[in-house]
Amino acid sequence: MRKAVGIGGLRRQEAERQALSRKGDELARREVAKLQEQVALMKTKLEEFVRDHQRDIRNNPAIRMQVQRMCQLIGVDPLASRKGYMAELLGVGDFYCELGVQIIDICVATRSANGGLIALDDLLRRLALRRIRGSEPVVADDVKRAIGQLAPLGGGYRIVDFGGRKMVQTVAREMNPDTSTVLALAQQTCRFSAADVRLALGWDDGRIQACIDDMLRSSIVWVDAPAAAAPAEYWVPAFFSQLGASLA
Amino acid sequence: MAAATGAPFQFPEIYSFPPFFTRQPNEDTWKEQRRQWCDLVVAFHRHHRRSSLALAEAVAEPPFANRQIRRALRVDTLREIVDELVNQGHAAWSGPKNTRDTCLIFWRKPEVWAGILHRWASERGLCNTVLTLYELANGDDAADQDFHGLDHATLRRSLEALQGQGKAQLFVGSSDEDMGVKFFP
Repeated sequence: MRKAVGIGGLRRQEAERQALSRKGDELARREVAKLQEQVALMKTKLEEFVRDHQRDIRNNPAIRMQVQRMCQLIGVDPLASRKGYMAELLGVGDFYCELGVQIIDICVATRSANGGLIALDDLLRRLALRRIRGSEPVVADDVKRAIGQLAPLGGGYRIVDFGGRKMVQTVAREMNPDTSTVLALAQQTCRFSAADVRLALGWDDGRIQACIDDMLRSSIVWVDAPAAAAPAEYWVPAFFSQLGASLA
Repeated sequence: MAAATGAPFQFPEIYSFPPFFTRQPNEDTWKEQRRQWCDLVVAFHRHHRRSSLALAEAVAEPPFANRQIRRALRVDTLREIVDELVNQGHAAWSGPKNTRDTCLIFWRKPEVWAGILHRWASERGLCNTVLTLYELANGDDAADQDFHGLDHATLRRSLEALQGQGKAQLFVGSSDEDMGVKFFP
């Protein structure tokens, strides 16, 4: 370009620069649109390919691996169709891994409210809200399997049973046997008072109070004391959420 | 201002949980409880576009009382919740100092209102003109705006925030209503 001097030259340079940058933006936009189109096409083709070559993919691990990698690259989610052909062909290991991550996520988020104890039903409901729309529902067995896979991480995740009610416990400590007994007692009503425990289990007041204090300390129960005169009741939020879910 | 009619307020599930109305003794549980109360208070006031709160009267009404389960928050617990809202910038104590009986709830923080007001004035070419607070909140110019019908105390705080940024100047009048404001571009 000829060396431009003076005000006129500077203005012209500026105008040229702007025109170039406009052109550049336009080209970039067109390029992105074209790419998006190609990726969408690629997705459809890939799905068609998997459908048409089911047997080869199932029998040949090398091809299976390559298809799986392609799926990941272009964002086809084999997990979204877990029980569909994609997942069956590609193996479902990643599915449980991802489910495990979602379970940890929910448990950590609700821990301060429920003391790390969440009803299996409630967990399933919360998981359903997070899944991609249209994907296969997650069932209790999936959660069990995903939690099994979390064991090596040592988070203390396990499924416990209180009088027939399945709960997911997500705290690393061992649950006090007294706590478990009282939780089993409260699983029908969501709540209990010291008198209920005394009546049902015949414990002395010291043991009952120690147990309640322990449960309060770990946020497993919340106290309900509407009037100073009436005896307090203790509510288990983990059971209550389940109640709310079944009413909803 | 969009009327406070339409769909009824959707209470969260925890509003039906009786212990939600008792201050929890465990500090961690209380923090969680307080967080949920703060969210509820702001959402409730946003829904009803209400800003003033008299604590002693409020505990007899939703959201601080739930007649279905016959539970109500105690005034001293509500005071702690408002303290937290003040910390977050979502409320300010009003009335006599240190009584902590009445407060303003900012369902939108004054700094946020400040930005909205300034943008509106700039777009309407109202900079460098003196407007009264009454005109601003009740005038036809802003009939379609979110701040239409906003209470004067919140409006004043928002404009003070804007004044602090050097984007407006307030002029004291004989009352809050004829207090004036000039926006700067």
